[in-house]
Amino acid sequence: MFKLALSGFKHRWRDYLVLFSGLVMSSAIFYMFEALATNQTFLKQNSMISMISFVFQFGSVLLTIITLVYIGYANSFLLSMRKRDYGLFMLVGARKGKIGQLIWVETLFVGILATIVGIAFGAILTIGVSHLLVQALGLTLKQFSAWYTPAALVTLVLYVGLFLIAGLFNLVALTKTPALKLLHSNDQPNRPRLHPVRQSIEVIIGLASISIGYWSMAHLIDLKMAGIGIALVTIVLGTYLLFNAVFVWLVVLLKRFKWAQRGLNSFTLSQLSFRIRNYTKILSIVAMLFALALGAITTGLGFHQQVPMMAAGGSAYDLSLVNPTAAQKRTVASLNPTRQATYHYKTTSKVVYYNAAEFDQQPFYTANTSGTTHLSFKYAKNNAKQMKKSFYSYQLGDLQTRLNVRKAAVYLPAAAYQKLKQPEAQLLVFATKNFQKHFATFKQLTKAQNKRGANLQIAATGGRYYAYQEFNGMYSGLEFMGFFLGIAFLAMLASCLMFKILSGAAADRQRYRMLDKMGTTQRQLKQALRKEIAVLFVLPGIVGIIHVLFGLQMFKVIMITSPYTGIWLPFTIFAILYLGYYWLTISIYQRIVLQ
Amino acid sequence: MPTTPIMTVTDLHKTYGKAGSKQYEALKGIDFDVQPGEFVGIMGASGSGKTTLLNMLATLDQPTSGEVTIHQQPITHLKGNQLADFRANEIGFIFQDFNLLETMTAYENIALPLMLQNVASKKIKPAVEQVATQLGINEFLSNYPNELSGGQKQRVAAARALINEPAILFGDEPTGALDSKSARELLDMFTKINQEQAVSILLVTHDPFSASYCQRILFIKDGRIGQELHRDQLSRTDFYQQILDTLGTFEQ
Ligand SMILES: Nc1ncnc2c1ncn2[C@@H]1O[C@H](COP(=O)(O)OP(=O)(O)OP(=O)(O)O)[C@@H](O)[C@H]1O
Ligand SMILES: [Mg+2]
Repeated sequence: MFKLALSGFKHRWRDYLVLFSGLVMSSAIFYMFEALATNQTFLKQNSMISMISFVFQFGSVLLTIITLVYIGYANSFLLSMRKRDYGLFMLVGARKGKIGQLIWVETLFVGILATIVGIAFGAILTIGVSHLLVQALGLTLKQFSAWYTPAALVTLVLYVGLFLIAGLFNLVALTKTPALKLLHSNDQPNRPRLHPVRQSIEVIIGLASISIGYWSMAHLIDLKMAGIGIALVTIVLGTYLLFNAVFVWLVVLLKRFKWAQRGLNSFTLSQLSFRIRNYTKILSIVAMLFALALGAITTGLGFHQQVPMMAAGGSAYDLSLVNPTAAQKRTVASLNPTRQATYHYKTTSKVVYYNAAEFDQQPFYTANTSGTTHLSFKYAKNNAKQMKKSFYSYQLGDLQTRLNVRKAAVYLPAAAYQKLKQPEAQLLVFATKNFQKHFATFKQLTKAQNKRGANLQIAATGGRYYAYQEFNGMYSGLEFMGFFLGIAFLAMLASCLMFKILSGAAADRQRYRMLDKMGTTQRQLKQALRKEIAVLFVLPGIVGIIHVLFGLQMFKVIMITSPYTGIWLPFTIFAILYLGYYWLTISIYQRIVLQ
Repeated sequence: MPTTPIMTVTDLHKTYGKAGSKQYEALKGIDFDVQPGEFVGIMGASGSGKTTLLNMLATLDQPTSGEVTIHQQPITHLKGNQLADFRANEIGFIFQDFNLLETMTAYENIALPLMLQNVASKKIKPAVEQVATQLGINEFLSNYPNELSGGQKQRVAAARALINEPAILFGDEPTGALDSKSARELLDMFTKINQEQAVSILLVTHDPFSASYCQRILFIKDGRIGQELHRDQLSRTDFYQQILDTLGTFEQ
């Protein structure tokens, strides 16, 4: 009996491979996510905002729901694969109890093995992705480790639990169904029907619950945790209902058009409607994942873009040097500074004296901010008189040496300044067109400066170069989370769609062969195939984008800039990734179906 | 009465397996013609090469050597779009199973060849209804294949094969999965379209009863045509008896 089961296993190793790799991918990604989500020290360390841990709980619950559907899906694939075999076993007289045992063992075996492999794979992925991100974005990470035991445990417990349930479900489903029905289970009817009343109710409830979800995301400050819960339930539910209603309706409606009678269009529509139930599920999942991935990347990139902006808002200069050497001066000149000034000064233990005349000749620029953030600002010229009055004149002090940074600045008339007995020093300040370009040179300049003695070391407060380092350190964690999760969700999305498509490929292959025999050109076949898969990509993409646009409201709380600034960049990046993924899927599918 | 044959087969060979590996010569030189409007049967023991032959004739597989022409056009080396066009316009087939796309209704299945040719949608509906009436499947047009009986499915498949008005119709044991009543209905229908529309039919079968509907039967043995029977003026029952006798001696 077990031998018989094993022979079935061997026979369908290709299908098992699809199933297995799908499950491995899913558990690997779940682990990846949990490696971040359960690592409280990392989260606390990297975000001063308690909001972040809300967001992660939100993500955790959502991913669990998605995993649930995914496993349900994988399970039905397994079941459909085995139904015929088990039907045959029953026909040749196998006992139900024995078969039940077999199914149970098989489901658990496949599931647990896939989970363990998946966790290992997930750890490897985590190493790879985190390494890549740290390199690419120049981040500094504290307290992050690719192997995190609690995350592995959470993943294992969830998956094994789900497979126990799935095994139980299979047991009931297979042993309660008569043998004949099992044999013919693959050609089940699937007639798309229009129920105008039911579908309009679905649309209304769907839209209503999505709006509630959007509303609660926008009012997260008041609603706190509850808001995330509400948004989660309502958006998932709403998306599903909407797809369920609209998709059936769309397919039936399209079939009535003349367009449906051209070429393979009616075939494509039939393909879609044949699997409508699977498709609505997968479409809602993909839409959610799309939103999550895009949202995460947008937020991550938002933080990333915020850093130089914040640095630019803190000072009008990139860097300062005290008593620069001739070599240093040459280096500065080679950067083609757009703004440069040298101020002489003399110090006592409490005061830094400047020559006021110098400020009238070369005014000092300050970054004058408006509002509470560093992000809306104007650079303003200051002569000595203005320096005395301006709130922002501290920005000059920030550019001073460590010893002088806290001293009061006094701007003396030239004569009074000359009379001072203290030794004179020079402060060189400069700005370039694009300070991010010259980090390597800045680093070299400051290193040389620091070597020249403690009294010449510049305070790490002034200038955009230092500010950038500081903000970057502050936001690295957040950026990392954004990108990391974005990639994880994108991978999950990929594996969901891939799974869906591959699991139907065997049946599709027969259909496409038949079309080929009937005299369909390769071009027509390829077009039909592309159209069908394009629907699976485009529809959830649109819904996903809408979700993101509203979902970004949540981040108003965390981000200093509006979460919508520069949104085109992450959207473009994502569109390119998504498109690339579409082509990949198509080429794999074509190879399977059209060989 | 010598007419130009609709199909000629000249010295057809088929060897399975690549050179060097284990090879099996399934067809060892087949020659025959099919006249327009002729109903030809191909019989032979299991493994004698019937399906192999039919696949070559219907452009589904390529022969190792030899030539097949349909309407004087050599077909063995057709490729790509030419091949697709040829399949769509000149030939129709019905197989034992896997005939219909289970994702589409009977109507859509029948209409598909016309849609593929981008025939105007106004013309599609009457055309489908016409064949459907001819084959008596009007009432099932909105059913999906899994809602049809085996015999009905084969009739839908026949309708789809005929809708393009092919020059020749191929059947590989189309009655193989049917009970005797459905089989008889399908064969009657073949006879009807053969007589009314002068469509040539080439039917592979190992069932003598099915074969008795044909006008001429080719017996294949070990990859060659071993014998040929003509029905001429015989009644079907007499022809059936003759086939049984021939099989009896031929199979030894
Ligand atoms: N793809 C293939 N590769 C190798 N050998 C093949 C292949 N297809 C068929 N054969 C061999 O060619 C011979 C003829 O096969 P074919 O399918 O034509 O028989 P048939 O007359 O249709 O038999 P049946 O009545 O059982 O359908 C058989 O011996 C078979 O083993
Ligand atoms: Mg055969």
